[in-house]
Amino acid sequence: MSEPAESTGAQLVLDVLADEGVEVVFGYPGGAIMPLYDALYGHAIKHILTRHEQGAAFAAGGFARSSGKVGVCIGTSGPGATNLVTGILDAYMDSIPVVAITGQVRTVLMGTDGFQEADVTSIMGPATKRAVCVRDVNDLERVLRNAFRIARGPRPGPVLVDIPNDILKAKCAPFNPNAPRPIPASYERPDAAALEEAIALIAAAERPIAIVGGGARSSNATHMFRELMAKLKMPHTSTLNGLGCAAPGDPRFLGMVGMHGWKAANLAVHQSDLVLALGMRFDDRVTGRVDRFAAGAKIIHADIDASEFNKIVKNKVALRGDLRQTLSHLLQRMAGRSLPTFEAWAEQAKALGGPLPQDRMPNGELSATDVLDEFFALVPEDGIVATDVGQHQMWAAQRQRAAHPRNFLTSAGLGTMGFGVPAAIGAQFANPRRKVFAIVGDGGFQMTMPELGTIRRYELPVKILLIDNHRLGMVRQWQELFYERRYSATDLSDNPDFVMIAKGYGIQAERVEDTGEMRDALERFINAEGAALLHCACFPHENCWPMIPAGGTAADVLEANPEAAIA
Amino acid sequence: MTLSLVMHDWRLLERIVGLTNRLGCAYTKVAVQARDELYHATIEFTGPPDALRRLDAQLSRLLNDDKEMSRR
Repeated sequence: MSEPAESTGAQLVLDVLADEGVEVVFGYPGGAIMPLYDALYGHAIKHILTRHEQGAAFAAGGFARSSGKVGVCIGTSGPGATNLVTGILDAYMDSIPVVAITGQVRTVLMGTDGFQEADVTSIMGPATKRAVCVRDVNDLERVLRNAFRIARGPRPGPVLVDIPNDILKAKCAPFNPNAPRPIPASYERPDAAALEEAIALIAAAERPIAIVGGGARSSNATHMFRELMAKLKMPHTSTLNGLGCAAPGDPRFLGMVGMHGWKAANLAVHQSDLVLALGMRFDDRVTGRVDRFAAGAKIIHADIDASEFNKIVKNKVALRGDLRQTLSHLLQRMAGRSLPTFEAWAEQAKALGGPLPQDRMPNGELSATDVLDEFFALVPEDGIVATDVGQHQMWAAQRQRAAHPRNFLTSAGLGTMGFGVPAAIGAQFANPRRKVFAIVGDGGFQMTMPELGTIRRYELPVKILLIDNHRLGMVRQWQELFYERRYSATDLSDNPDFVMIAKGYGIQAERVEDTGEMRDALERFINAEGAALLHCACFPHENCWPMIPAGGTAADVLEANPEAAIA
Repeated sequence: MTLSLVMHDWRLLERIVGLTNRLGCAYTKVAVQARDELYHATIEFTGPPDALRRLDAQLSRLLNDDKEMSRR
């Protein structure tokens, strides 16, 4: 069959997406984007209709986080585009590769306050690596190609391509599958002198510790990281985004660092004399009070993005480059050399903290942390867990046993409630044969609860563990600790019947409120065929410990409410 | 701090203004010239030294993405 003599902007978009390897897109139609939806009709690219554009953006993020591929979301002009913003900014904050495509009003209407018109590129600018409006159909292929390249890296992130309705309809030359492809973005090689300096610092250290972050996930450096830790027998910890990088069961992994991190991890960083910061950016939830963060330590900072160096914490050595390459070069240079190992210090570091502290429950009340302890003991090793945001997120982060960083998906940088369920949907599309779970609180779940309809429509076996404490629990905890128990706007005691809601969407659901019934209920839930919701009615006032108050240091860690009484 | 910036998309100035404000800096002089399909900006920034350093680093990232998007 001969190639068509001409194409349209909309057809060209799909041709480029397919050529970039896109098989699934998440979106919601509307007026300005209709030509693209018309081209999608019957197309090989599968379009997933979410119930809200925010769900589409989170699903694209979940798809990308769990697979490493670029996630794609689509919305129409005006409100369609603005509804994408939160999910796109979420991807930006966690360096997740997403391409967002939005319809725009016709070019002649732009700037006239036309129906459903918004200056989307201006709105999206600070939420993306680049936000571009295409005003000439002849630029469309180039812009889309570049959007994918920029989204992939070197440091991944979201890119927006805004396409006016008339550009989508415009005639253009057909897609040429044999046209030369743009050269992938180049990656800077780690500097040899800096690598040597880093090795010298490691050799001279007595109490070194590594902190691994999301950069290890982005650069697929997990294996290299584990190899380095095993070689040096060094204690190590992780940011929220780096969870899953440590080798499962490695006794020198001290757990997550930061505000709700493990006490041993925070104290070990505090007492260390050298920090290997690997693909992490010293977020304030990690550092607490910056001038006292690892105050006695020299910092080796490895990152792909030079703008992260000395942004928050001054480094002694900066290793710029792709983390996998950096670690590979480090290991190569270390090979055959006599370097110290740090087992004794790792033992000491481990002993700096005990088990996770837990509030005592009144008789008969279900403890959220007990539920999560049991849950993570039962989850299959290759299971993917997406969380929402709040107390349950931190409890899950403390307890997760992810074997890989793409198995634990969470909104870290932006901390976006509503993320959990749609991110799990995206992950399920990327990993159709694996078990995917969403752990959500009652607050965040209700922000994107209509996505139950998406789960139902596509018969996704996503399983939702709902930790319902009838409160916006994390805010409530701060009110208890820092606002004299003035519980302003955190009561959700009039929550709906979540089991009935799930069943209304055709999703099997069960409620558990008795500790004795919990394990059996969790087993039924995890092993259920198809989608399921387990509604855990938990004690409302359980707090998340340990906690370093904002702006504090590891020495300020709280392991229980100092006032001792449960509010 | 005076920076000479080359932009492919003149609308990048909007991002630069936003970033400058977010980092608690200001600009005292902006001059932009269009030449050979590029926009050459000279901008004088003021602000705390740490904030200016962060601004400089973030602008490099921004300009790099701008350059990548213009690639043919």
